[in-house]
Order: sequence, then structure tokens, then C-alpha cells
Amino acid sequence: MFFSRCLKVKNYEKLYTSIISLSGIFVFWLESNFRTQSLEDWVLVYMLSGSITLLNFFLINLPPKDNSFSMDSAVYLATLFLYGTHLALIVLLLCSIVELFSKHKMSLWRHLFNFSMYCFMILGAYYSFSLFDGQIGDINIRNLFPYMISLVVYFSINVTLMFLFFLFSGQIFRGAFDMGVLLESTVSYFVTLLLSLVLAILLNEQRYFGLFLFTVLVTLLSFVFRKFLKLYQHASEQANKDHLTGLYNHGFFKETLKEKFSDARVLHQPLCLALIDLDDFKKYNDCNGHLRGDELLKFFGDLLQTETKEKNYVVARYGGEEFAVLMPSTTKEQAFLFLNQLRKKVNDTYFPGVEYIPYRCLSFSCGIAEYEKGIYDSGELIHRADQAMYYAKAQGKNNVQIYDEKNISLSAIEFKEDLDAMEQQLKIFLSKDVYTYRHSKRVFTYALEFSEMLDLNEHEKQTLILGALIHDIGKLEVPRDILNKKEKLEPHEWEIVKKHVTWGKEILASDRRFDDLLPLVELHHERYDGKGYPYGLKGEEIPKLARILCVIDSFDAMTTERPYQRTKTFEEAVVELRKCAGTQFDPVYAETFAEMIETKYLSHLKSKCLIDV
Amino acid sequence: MVYDGIILSLLIGFFRGGSLKGLANMKLRGGWLFPILLGIEIFIFILQNKIEVVARFSNGLFLAIYVIGLVFLWLNRHQPGFIVIFAGVLLNFVVMSLNGGRMPVSLEAAQFLGHEYIEALKAGVYGKHEAITASTWLPFLGDIIPLSPPYPRQQVISIGDVIMNVGAFIFIQHLMVDGHHDQSSHQPVHEGR
Repeated sequence: MFFSRCLKVKNYEKLYTSIISLSGIFVFWLESNFRTQSLEDWVLVYMLSGSITLLNFFLINLPPKDNSFSMDSAVYLATLFLYGTHLALIVLLLCSIVELFSKHKMSLWRHLFNFSMYCFMILGAYYSFSLFDGQIGDINIRNLFPYMISLVVYFSINVTLMFLFFLFSGQIFRGAFDMGVLLESTVSYFVTLLLSLVLAILLNEQRYFGLFLFTVLVTLLSFVFRKFLKLYQHASEQANKDHLTGLYNHGFFKETLKEKFSDARVLHQPLCLALIDLDDFKKYNDCNGHLRGDELLKFFGDLLQTETKEKNYVVARYGGEEFAVLMPSTTKEQAFLFLNQLRKKVNDTYFPGVEYIPYRCLSFSCGIAEYEKGIYDSGELIHRADQAMYYAKAQGKNNVQIYDEKNISLSAIEFKEDLDAMEQQLKIFLSKDVYTYRHSKRVFTYALEFSEMLDLNEHEKQTLILGALIHDIGKLEVPRDILNKKEKLEPHEWEIVKKHVTWGKEILASDRRFDDLLPLVELHHERYDGKGYPYGLKGEEIPKLARILCVIDSFDAMTTERPYQRTKTFEEAVVELRKCAGTQFDPVYAETFAEMIETKYLSHLKSKCLIDV
Repeated sequence: MVYDGIILSLLIGFFRGGSLKGLANMKLRGGWLFPILLGIEIFIFILQNKIEVVARFSNGLFLAIYVIGLVFLWLNRHQPGFIVIFAGVLLNFVVMSLNGGRMPVSLEAAQFLGHEYIEALKAGVYGKHEAITASTWLPFLGDIIPLSPPYPRQQVISIGDVIMNVGAFIFIQHLMVDGHHDQSSHQPVHEGR
């Protein structure tokens, strides 16, 4: 499916570039004229082309990224204002030929597209210039309006054609084009206009020498900016890199992960994260000393770097002896293959001092997690990889594990322990807000029953049940007065109540054991139609378990005494559940839960009623 | 013009921290062709106004020299800048061969070079040049670019000459600056006995 979409996008791109290229060449053929030039004009053409080629080579680079702007447009516009289109088009042709040879790695279509785009830009600027009474041949400082107009047209054509190109080549999703970029470039466009006027005046006054001055000036500026950019890059690199290993550091890695994570989500591409932990590094340090330990880290970092050189992986030192590899557009199977080969290679590599550690060779344990739909932020991906890594450690070290929920479910005893821990926390509500205490207990019971009816694996079941018990823990932070208020809540009070999901997450985050529960606690008030809080996630973006918990939680809220709402009967609540399926609730789980309530409780109640009668 | 370009390249090369050591590592294929070509050219220059036969064949000989020069450049096209020199020489060669083996010169551009020069051009035997007329093919590839103050010398050159110089510039920069850095790889291997 995705592949076919890719193909389609490619076709649109091809079609678009060929249409633009062909029409550009046609227009060039219509508008250009090689015969009217005198030899002196030709000398000028050579000089202008040389100048543009030089300016294209010495771009003015702007930090932070590889943004740069070229002054060629200034030369084209100045040529246009002074000598008209014929000369400008010949200059364009010569420059394009030079470009064709100097950048022969770029495809011919791209060259043609660029050429045609400039054709349209130059001609558009020219005609708008003459439309507004601009006089070719001299700079008229009493009427600057035509110059402004032609500049606006020149760059509008540029922006439009490029925008369409990005649109058809499918890069628009990456945010290649946003308003911020456009605003920023407006400034550079304006600079171009000013420079084109400067150049036109220079050319008019001292033809070749004027052009020479302009070109040298811009070239020198380019040198200065290049130095500046290098300095900037050096400084930012130092801030982003780990001093010992030369890999990226923790902070930079997390930032990159966030970017790649949202890329993967929007573009529906696979993304894998691997966490690597050197085995028995502490023992190595104890036996060989910290200096040797540092050397080992450096050695391993270098090894990682060389192994990943040809791939688009991002490698970082995540912590002490922990390393992280981020693998965009890689599936977990490919990632596993790569890391397992790396592990073998590391095993076979000798490093002085490894005799003293249990394995007698270098080794690491690695956990891999792949991005899936239900994962809602990059932190959860890290958590999964981390869990897989711990599982690998538990399997006797020196192995690679892919995150699998089956592997990390708790034993019955551990589960009981966790439940007890939650109960303890929940008991505080007994004094503060007994309603929340009972509500949590009931939701817990529903979750226990409901989880049996759903197709969940053991780990998911445990997570749902624990999450159901603890989901409102954040209400600890909400003042009693608000929780027990009889009247309707004021807007600001309602805002405070809404915050309980975030507070709850923060309370639980203090204990690593409960990391799996965080999404449930934080997201159980998200709505299927995206109108929930705290993030307004929509549909499948909300993790499955949070969607289930939302149904249970709301059902109990509807059916029990509540300070600020009338109580519904079970029947009414079931109707309400069905009504809101697809808007507030996930339709599948809402329906399943409604059925469960009908069979387990309503029939029960009915029979009870009958007996009473 | 050729010397100007080379001197400028050397100066900028020094300015960028390069050295002449790199020039010693220059490895060209068919380098022996150069002195021979130069010898023949000087030979024609000196003798074409004295010996009838040389004058008659001089145009053809000039073209032959160009062809050999082009072959030499093509052989060394992997050297940085040589393909640019090749393009420049080719442009000169094209315009010369289309115009009977002589380089067309723009009279307007050559005005300031002096009366004698113009007269000699019109007469038709000044080195390898001739004046541009209405029947000249591709006049824009001829010697039409006047070099004038503030440039220290006065001369008329063609676009081919300019491109050639750019190529020479790139090549010399490569030898002086890039060659300087990977010197270690050129160090002689120690031979055991």
C-alpha cells in the first residue's frame, strides 16, 4: 500500500518536472535571440556569466543548518533592469551549461527544471517590470515601484514552482515548507533587491570594474560567512558530542529521537531504537582501573561509529556504559540482524584486560524496540527498548532481544506485590476523598472482569488492571474543596481537576516499576474524536489500554453518586456508552463493554428484581 | 595572459598556505609533448615571415599543435582542472579551425593596442591572428575581451583563454594546497637490503 503510494508520488514528480522543463525550454526558444548582440555585448555576457558562476560557487552560508543564499538573482535582476531579457537569457543559458558540467552528478531533469524555473522567473520579472512602466536601460530612482513589483513576481514564481515541486515529490510532509521559512527568506529576498539595484548602478557607471567590485565583495563575504559557519558548527558539535567517545551525547540523542519519532509517525515509516549495555563493565573497571575502563568505552564507541558509518543511524552514548542506536526506516528484524552481527564481531575483538571478566571477551546486551501505532511518545519507545535490554541481561547477558510484551509480564507474586503497593498509595484517599477510593476500586473490578473478555496478552492484562486501580492517583493533588464541591465547578476549578492526569503521571514516574502504567494514567481522559485532554490525541494515536480504561472509567462515573452530576442507571449508562461510541469512546471497546455489562450485571439485576416481585 | 593566470594562481596558492613542494609531485601523462609543441610554435613564429613554405602551412600547423595539445589534455583529464583547460582550448580550437586556422580578433577591442598592431592585423600576418569581419564564423568565441586599466596589462583575449586560465588556476591550487596535505603518501618506501 505504502509502496504503491510512493510510486504514484514519484510519477507526479516526474510529470511535473517534465512539464515545467519542456514549457521552460519552449518559452526560452520563443523569447531568446542570439543575433542582435554586438561583440561588446558578448564580452558583457561572459563577464556576467563568470560572475554568476563564481557567486553560485561561493554561496553565503547561514547557520544553524546548511541554509545558504546565492547572489545570482541579484545579477540576473540587475542585467534585466539594464539590458533587457535577451542578454539575461543568454547569460542564463551559459550559466546553466557551466552548471550542467560542474554538477554532473545531479540528474539532467533537475538541471532542466532549474533552467526553466529561472526562465520563467526572469521573463515574469521582465513583463511585470514593463507593465508598470519600468524603463530598461537606466535606473530611475524617482520610480522604484516597478523594481519592487518585478522582484515580488520573480520570487513568487520561484516559491510557487518550488512549493509545487515539494508537494509533488512528497517532501511537504516533512515541513520542508513552512511559513517561518518563508518569512525568513523574505528578508534575504529584500537584500537581493537592494543588491541588484546596487549592482545595476555600478554596472551603469563602470561596467566591468563595477561588476568586478561587486563579485569580489560578495566572494569575500562568502569566505567570512563560511568561517563563521565553521566556527558555529564546531561549537555546536562540541555541545552535542560526548567528550570521551566522540559519539553524540544524551541530550542531543533525545532531541533527535523526538524528531525522528514524529517523522516516523507522520510518514508511517519504521523506526527502531536499540539500547546497548556493555556486560560486566563494573567488573572490568574494578580489575583494570577507571582509566582502562575509559579506554574501553572509547574503543567501543569507535567500533560503533565505524560499523554504522555507511548507514543513516544515529549513535550516542546514552549513559555510563550504555549506548543507544537510532535506526530510521529500519524494521526490528533488520535491526536485530545488524546488532547480532555487531555482537558477534565484538565478541571476536580482543581488548586488553578482558581476561578478568566472566565471559573472557567483550560482550554486550541489547534491547530493540520498534515504533508501533500505540506508542504515543518517544519516552515510551526508550522505555520499551530499556525493558528489552533488561530482559536480555536476565537471559544471561551477551544477547540481543526485541521488545516483546510476553517476555516482560510479571509473575503472580510480583503482580501481587505491585497491587499491594498501589493499594497502599490509594489508601490515602480513604481520608481525603472516599469517593475516588471507591471509584478506583470499582474500576479495578470492572477492569479485572473486562480484561478476561478481551484479546489481551498477559502483560497487557496486568497493566490494565494495575492502571485501573491507580488511574486517579493524581487527584491527591486536587484540593478537597474542589473534589467534594456540591455545586457545578468554576472554569478554573475544572482546569485544576483536569490536571490530575499529569500529576498522576508524575507521582507514578518516581518508581521505574510503574513506567508501563504511565500512558494509562496520563491518557485515560483522551477522547476518541480528539477532544479529550491533556493532548487531544485522536483515534488510534491513543494507546489501546488507555482507550479501554476510558470506557470503564466513564461508565463508573456515570453510574455512581458524584458531587457534580446526576446518577444514571445501568441501562441508561449502557445506552449512553453506545451513543458516544465513536465520538468519546473507541467504538469496538465501548460495544464489548456494553455487552459485558448487559450479560453480567443487567440480567443479574433483572432476575433479582423478578425475585423481589 | 597565460603567465598572468599562473602568477595569480601561485600568489593565491601561497596566500592559502600552500607550498611549491606540491608542484614537484605533478604527474602528467605525455609531459614530453609540451616542449616539442612549444619548439614548433616558436619555429613558426620566427620563420613564417621569412620562408614562404612555412607561411603557407602555418595555419595548418597551428591547428595540428592544437590537436596534439587537446590529446595531451584529454590524456590527463583526471587531474583536477584539466577538463576545464580542455574546454577552453577546445573553444579556441573550434573558432580557429572554422576561420581557416587563425584566431579572429575584434578591432574595436584591440583599438588601444596600438596603430601598428591594427595595421598588421588588417594585413593578415600577425602571429596567429586575424581581424573579425562580417564573414567570420562564431565571432563571439574570438579575441573580443579587452583587458584594460586597472588591469596592469593591455591585451585582447578570448573566452577560451579565460576558461583555460580558470582550469590552470584550479590545477595549481590543487597542487599547492591539496597536494601539500597528503605529502606523507608520497614519501619513498624504505627498501630493505
